[in-house]
Amino acid sequence: MALLTRVANVDQQSFDATVLKSSTPVLVDVWANWCGPCKLVAPLMDAVEKEYNGGLKVVKVEHDANPSLISEYKVYGLPALILFKDGMAVAKREGAISKKMILDWLKENGVALAA
Amino acid sequence: MRASTCSSSVLRPRTTLLTRPRTSKVVKASAENATESKNLEVMRKFSEQYAKRSNTVFCVDKSVTAVVIQGLAEHKDTLGAPLCPCRHYDDKEAEAAQGYWNCPCVPMRERKECHCMLFLVPGTDFAGSDQDITMDEIKVAIEPMR
Repeated sequence: MALLTRVANVDQQSFDATVLKSSTPVLVDVWANWCGPCKLVAPLMDAVEKEYNGGLKVVKVEHDANPSLISEYKVYGLPALILFKDGMAVAKREGAISKKMILDWLKENGVALAA
Repeated sequence: MRASTCSSSVLRPRTTLLTRPRTSKVVKASAENATESKNLEVMRKFSEQYAKRSNTVFCVDKSVTAVVIQGLAEHKDTLGAPLCPCRHYDDKEAEAAQGYWNCPCVPMRERKECHCMLFLVPGTDFAGSDQDITMDEIKVAIEPMR
């Protein structure tokens, strides 16, 4: 089975289908163009997605283009990582963290790596 | 004849070394080459000076530093103040006038908390060891993003 495009950007229009209706948990990375730590976190999103190998969908939402998503999920600090399960935002973390901390945070929130 | 800015009547303590009064007119920069902006040099110098003064260091990945400096310069161009580029604001103009998130922001001044990773406490995650960044380093880092 071909995996769909890894860590694509989603916007307000595709958010419902891609994130809220996803059967797998989804990690959303909210970023902005001149936010330095957002750049730091971007490759970690690719790495996490690869490591989960289908068990976690990872997508990015750009801040400037998606004001209603930003406002709906009350994002203030960037980057923000929001974990969605069954259409609900179950956890949110603001600020850049290391890959290990991301994995630990996902595990704490019930999305562990498959053995 | 000087144009006034919305922020000229707000008194807030300035801890930076930039003492030029903010009465210069706000230039609403179009999307022209921001590397020409004199504010890029202003924010570069400020970052070096403030890191030294606060005993903090730049990120181990200097492109993070460069990107934040560019973001600060861009806000200075468009809003008249270096509003933190790593945040969402409901009203940018109001925030720039109010000052809490103008660099160096209150969390940084009070607790050395810079979530932009511009000023990092030595020895913490992502902290490098430099307190200097050249204009060339900045340009190289931000060019691919223009």
